[in-house]
Amino acid sequence: MAALTHDERLVPSAGTPRPRLKSFGVAALAVVIVGGLALAGAFLPLSTALDVRNAIGLALFAVATNLLLGYGGLVSFGQAALYGIGAYTVMLGWQHWGWSFWTGFVVAPLVGAAAAAAIGVIALRTRQLYFALLTLAFTQLAFTLAHQQFEFTGGDNGVFGEVLPAWLADERQGYMFTLGVAAISCFLLWRVVTSPFGLTLRAIRENRDRMEALGVNVYLHQLVAFVISGFFCAVAGVLFVVHTQSAYPQLLEWTKSGEPILMAVIGGMFSFLGPVVGAFVYTLGQQELVQQTESWKLVLGVILLAIVLLRPDGLAGLVSARPWRRLRRSETEPGA
Amino acid sequence: MILSTRSLTKQFGSFTAVDDVDLDVAEGTIHSIIGPNGAGKTTLFRLLTGVHAPTAGRVTLEGAEIAGRKPHSIARKGLVQSFQLTSVFPRLSVLESVQAAIIAPTRRPLDLVTRYHRSVEGEARALLARVGLESVAGSQANSLSHGDQRALDIALALATKPKLLLLDEPTAGMSPAETQKTTQLVSELNRTTGLTILFSEHDMDVVWGISHRVSVLHQGAVIAEGSVAEVQSNPEVMTVYLGEGEPLEKLPA
Repeated sequence: MAALTHDERLVPSAGTPRPRLKSFGVAALAVVIVGGLALAGAFLPLSTALDVRNAIGLALFAVATNLLLGYGGLVSFGQAALYGIGAYTVMLGWQHWGWSFWTGFVVAPLVGAAAAAAIGVIALRTRQLYFALLTLAFTQLAFTLAHQQFEFTGGDNGVFGEVLPAWLADERQGYMFTLGVAAISCFLLWRVVTSPFGLTLRAIRENRDRMEALGVNVYLHQLVAFVISGFFCAVAGVLFVVHTQSAYPQLLEWTKSGEPILMAVIGGMFSFLGPVVGAFVYTLGQQELVQQTESWKLVLGVILLAIVLLRPDGLAGLVSARPWRRLRRSETEPGA
Repeated sequence: MILSTRSLTKQFGSFTAVDDVDLDVAEGTIHSIIGPNGAGKTTLFRLLTGVHAPTAGRVTLEGAEIAGRKPHSIARKGLVQSFQLTSVFPRLSVLESVQAAIIAPTRRPLDLVTRYHRSVEGEARALLARVGLESVAGSQANSLSHGDQRALDIALALATKPKLLLLDEPTAGMSPAETQKTTQLVSELNRTTGLTILFSEHDMDVVWGISHRVSVLHQGAVIAEGSVAEVQSNPEVMTVYLGEGEPLEKLPA
């Protein structure tokens, strides 16, 4: 036991030491990623660039969802409702009240945050499975509303039309706008996860009763996380409008809530950029699969299964795999 | 008295787990609660920390009523516990865990923009040094030995700067060496910082060794209270322990 302990002490934990060096590395990585995507948007063939633009919007959706999933340990199937609400707010405001796109752009995240607060206040009173089921129920409620209120939402057809100002409707410029909004949003979310709140949220994920016993109002903190996530999910919904100039009920379906969760799992939910990687692999990979085989969902399922079984830290886990592997070995083979 | 209970009672259905308990803990003392299994020690602690609401009775911390408050609210008032089953943050580093605990009772957990928790790193390291964990600050909490996790658990409670520290069987499941280390730590904390410690314990050597006051719980009620010598010579206490089949040699009279 003693010898084992000594060995284990060498195991470093993810993400504490040398903050200054680390933040320099983070900034450099951010510049490389955003710069690379900007170049891609400028020079890739248009159809490919549009696929990438779609992936960028979904990447923000996945990162915002992962604030709950990876950092908060909360499996919410309500994120599609908030994503859809973002898109619908822009489109409905434009159609019914003559809002400009910019009005919708500002209002939609606030509506998303308010809706998240309403859902969270109720759903966060429960835990785990019941929490997931309640959030799923809210998504179905939003879907049903969008689907049935034909007069207001256009029902199955959804809402579509020339909502974007001319320069944004230009595909390349729309790409840069999408990239800019997603990058700023991710930066803000990065600030959140590296703040005292972010640390508190991770501690709650690890052991909520202990955190409560140390003086933290767990319910309040989870609610704040839910609202922040809702805000940025709605921003991602606005980016969907930039991409398609439409909103329709399928955005609100609960299966849509599964997508950012799958992306986070594929990419790795315990790292900030994991969901971004996952979003690109999922969207672009899905397109490839669809072209190759009719049973692409089967292939996707097998890939997912393999990741969950073999690489629970996701693709991002490959990069920082060594300490984890050593840790796992020392857990499964005591005395080794 | 830093902590007092009056007629504190908890019933689960028709079963009375804690029965009309009057307890007084004096500031700066090590006060232990002993009693056979099922005597109601853990339930009593849960009433004090707000995990359970009492059926009847009062609990005051520094004169202020705390019975029925939520756990986090009681913790903020300065009554903080370390758990019977070691309860740490498995996938946080030891240092991060203590940083999280330091900011827990402040308003900082809702701070979304600063990096305030980094500024308490020095304080966190000092605390880890006090419980002998400075060399494992960077390790993940779940990679520590049982004894070290126990020490981390205590460090988490200390990080909140409690007025009263509650320890529920701090040496449960420990090797003799670890037990001695923990006992020493508890005694030292009390001596050097004047921290009031209320703890429940099975190991009688630990109890007799470091307690200033001892309360004996039996079937939910306090049947004896006093100094170590007083409790050891109390005939009712001996009957209870012999009746419950506890080894005789654990009660040197």
